[in-house]
Amino acid sequence: MNRRNFLSWGSAGVVTLGTGVAVSLGAVVRFLMPSVFYEPPQTFKIGTPGDFAFGMPTFLVDEKIFVFRDREKGFSVASAVCTHLGCTVAHFQSDNRFHCPCHGSVFAPDGSVIHGPAPKPLQWFEVTLARDGQLRVDKDKVVPAGYRLMV
Amino acid sequence: MNLIRDIYQSIVRRDPLSTDKGKSELVFLNVWLHIHPAKVKKESLKFKHTFYLGFITFFLFVILVTTGIALMFYYRPYPPHAYQDMKDLQFVVFMGPFLRGMHRWAAHGMVVCVFLHMCRVFYTGSYKKPRQFNWVVGVFLLLLTLGLSFTGYLLPWDQLAFWAITVGTNIGSYAPLVGGKLREILLGGHTVGEAALLRFYVLHVAILPSFMILLTVVHFWRVRKDGGLSRPVWKLKPNKPEQLVTIGAPPQTAPLNAVAASTDKTYGLMEVVTGKPIFETITPDEEEDAVFSYPYAFFREAIALMVTVTGIMAISLFFRAPLEELANPAKTPNPAKAPWYFLGLQELVSHSALLGGVVAPTLMVLALLAIPYFDRNPSRRPSDRKWAIWLFTIFVVANLVLIVIGTFFRGPGWALVPPWVHVVAGAE
Amino acid sequence: MGRRLPQIFFGLSLLALVLIVAAVWQASTPSWKTYQRQFLQLEAQGEPNAVTKAAVLATPPQIHQVMLTGLQRVDRCTTCHLGVDDPTMKNAPEPFRYHEGLGSHIPSRFGCTICHGGQGLATDKKNAHGDVQFWETPLLTKEYIRASCGRCHKEGDVPGVPELTEGRHLFETQGCRGCHKLNGVGGSIGPDLTEEGANHRSPEWLERHFLAPNAVSAGSVMPNFHFTKDQARSLTYYMLSLTNEEMGTYYSSERLIPSIEYGRQLFVEKDCIVCHAVGGVGAKVGPDLLGVTKRHSREWLDEQLVNPELVYPGSAMPVYDLETNARKALIAFMSSATPEDAQAIMAHKGTGLAPEDAAIEAGKRNFARFGCAGCHGTELQGGLPNPNAQGGQVPSLVHLADDYTKDEVIAVIRDGRTPPLEDAKGPTPPLYMPSWKSLLSNEDIHQIVEFLWSKQQKKQDSW
Repeated sequence: MNRRNFLSWGSAGVVTLGTGVAVSLGAVVRFLMPSVFYEPPQTFKIGTPGDFAFGMPTFLVDEKIFVFRDREKGFSVASAVCTHLGCTVAHFQSDNRFHCPCHGSVFAPDGSVIHGPAPKPLQWFEVTLARDGQLRVDKDKVVPAGYRLMV
Repeated sequence: MNLIRDIYQSIVRRDPLSTDKGKSELVFLNVWLHIHPAKVKKESLKFKHTFYLGFITFFLFVILVTTGIALMFYYRPYPPHAYQDMKDLQFVVFMGPFLRGMHRWAAHGMVVCVFLHMCRVFYTGSYKKPRQFNWVVGVFLLLLTLGLSFTGYLLPWDQLAFWAITVGTNIGSYAPLVGGKLREILLGGHTVGEAALLRFYVLHVAILPSFMILLTVVHFWRVRKDGGLSRPVWKLKPNKPEQLVTIGAPPQTAPLNAVAASTDKTYGLMEVVTGKPIFETITPDEEEDAVFSYPYAFFREAIALMVTVTGIMAISLFFRAPLEELANPAKTPNPAKAPWYFLGLQELVSHSALLGGVVAPTLMVLALLAIPYFDRNPSRRPSDRKWAIWLFTIFVVANLVLIVIGTFFRGPGWALVPPWVHVVAGAE
Repeated sequence: MGRRLPQIFFGLSLLALVLIVAAVWQASTPSWKTYQRQFLQLEAQGEPNAVTKAAVLATPPQIHQVMLTGLQRVDRCTTCHLGVDDPTMKNAPEPFRYHEGLGSHIPSRFGCTICHGGQGLATDKKNAHGDVQFWETPLLTKEYIRASCGRCHKEGDVPGVPELTEGRHLFETQGCRGCHKLNGVGGSIGPDLTEEGANHRSPEWLERHFLAPNAVSAGSVMPNFHFTKDQARSLTYYMLSLTNEEMGTYYSSERLIPSIEYGRQLFVEKDCIVCHAVGGVGAKVGPDLLGVTKRHSREWLDEQLVNPELVYPGSAMPVYDLETNARKALIAFMSSATPEDAQAIMAHKGTGLAPEDAAIEAGKRNFARFGCAGCHGTELQGGLPNPNAQGGQVPSLVHLADDYTKDEVIAVIRDGRTPPLEDAKGPTPPLYMPSWKSLLSNEDIHQIVEFLWSKQQKKQDSW
């Protein structure tokens, strides 16, 4: 094992090995990224338009969303997750507002913050009509508060 | 800038490499470079002497720890989930099958290598004075390896796992008086079930690996302190006695002159001794036989590591770890076999439960532990140890033959069936 | 060797790099990704404008899974079968074709494997279709797939699956329960069939077994019932449906929802009124059921319905094979039942039979249900070969009254007996009269004997 041989081949080996280790590290990150989610899917169907009443929003517990149906404007879907620290807000019929039980944030019917620690208005999700006639909500697609689906 | 320098110097505390002090501290202050002394003898590095089996075993253990931790991210030790998680590893987790394969094959490989390493140590007589105790540590490492492999065997919760563990733990229950209770403690019940899976999991990922790491540290430390890496016996200088030389050690007859601890001290100082160290050092007349550990020894060991890792990777790329049907306590496969390394035991048990299942393995372990203390022949030359070599060879061959019979020659109903005869098990 | 070490080191590094890249490549190119790309191209064809087309094609590949907690499974079939709920994919090639005729059984609520079988967790064709070693439920073929309906539709007629109704009927009338237990009721000569569908026998095996038990399982003591092909198919359907899985309430067929109405149906079906009265209306054999839910807890009543003997040793009440929900429904009905209900049920029963005839009828039913006919024949003619028993066959019962008293016959049914041997040194005959003590009450046995006596013939040569 002479010095030059050791330095040249050895360093070439170290570089190759380093590349291999880098690829492995990338693979580890990809390994840790879940390929399937054991939780309710982000995109889901909530039923046919006829299933929802006009006026008061329908609260879907598992999906944590409010479904609004307006006679003129159509469908919209609001998140029931408080933008402060993630508690589930409730809709109060008495004042037609959303109240968060954790730190008292209050949201207007359009989702904007009326008072309390919440930093942002409630999110609105895209709702579309799937090919089989059901309403489909996509929680990955946030839309402005004015978004409506007319059926 | 000062801050950065301070941080750097807190990590690398040696003087600059331009000074002699710095050059020496590069080694002194580096924990990893203390696995070996600064210099090792050339012939210790000879591949044909050790086959690097100890290192390969250790590297396999490193692979097992790494892949094992990765697999833990996707595994829940609870019967309804465990099998599904294995299926997820097989079908959806990125590189799941590859990692599981590496873990499985490395585990089998480690059982093989630890056994081969033991054989090598025996045949080269490397367990002889002053290394007797390290052999004992090694035997415990062998037992831990078997324990780790055995506890891991249950985790996939398939038919193979369930019945191998059912059979395996029943072998142990033949021990008189304590056997039944021991099995109950191990399984947390009378049969392999939820509790057993959890217990095996805890043993497999926490308790046994901790002991393994602890004993490995002791094992390595003692290799260094008991005379360094093993040397071929034929390289020992003829003018020296043919036993492992502890250079610099006082003659055996002369006891160390310990300085009595000062009475006004309230603490015992372990270092208050005189005399020369009992471990081997390089004397000037041996200088020409020695090379610097770094890079010569470390570089070779790095290559052994690479060979081990690439070997396991290559195997895992082409061979998947098996996964059978979901464990079904109501349906015993025929034949139900323990893991292969226990099939020799199962073969013995099929002849006599008490003798084969308890007496033989206990005697085997005791005999292994006793070897360095009973073998009082100081010579390491094979020609001087014919009896020892014969006995040990018989022991090894008997084990292998029993395992081969149990693995390949036992068919449905534990009947003797050669592997080339195909038997359709129990037509319904 | 020593001098080449750096080269070896470099070679090994290169090998390690190649191996890790190969492993990553292997993991990143699963077959389902190819299917998803093909499907996206198919979908993009239908899109009119270029922007949406590009958006469709840009959909990232991902594994689709339907989590079915109520059915205790996770199905990933829709990872490749992407058009299964998309009517526009009606004419698409497999695996993308739309699944027609599902009605309310939408894939997102029911998954696929509950009906089709296969391995829901798998993501490649061979494994998913279950066509591999160590997976016991491969896809059911078209011929047998409708058997799966019976996994949820456990009672009554299943629309479009007459085989299931027929299979259940055959099971109760051909005496299968004489030897086989189902949901706790039946004999123990043959295997328990409560989870037969979960035993993963192939449908073809079951069908051949019904046609000729001995031909597929050698040494089986199950007699050949000479079923027709259709009957064997029906029984196979029934067996395949017996999986005893815990299904979420969403998947219970309507009849199994424990409603008062369903309870009333069962009350009529099982003829409870024959022994029990409600507020004095009905028979006086068993206790009056008015207010029984106030006297006993629901758990107690449930226990009573499962096994009367356990609650009241020596109880005359027979064991009924009732599903959990059926028991709940009966209890619900009992809590609401009034004397008027009983009156209405009695009125519907019509005139009814004379007590003696009723006993003979009941005897006849039990004779069939518990399989007496299996050996002794529906016409009591006997004649099934039984080597080395006296006469070499199962005895005929039509001349029973000439040689035995009723009490003697009752004793034989109750305690069973082994037939006297033709040749004392020969082998034990395969068939014997089992003891029916544990399965039939004294009442049942008495009724069977009444039935036997009603069928007695005069010996031809008697004088």
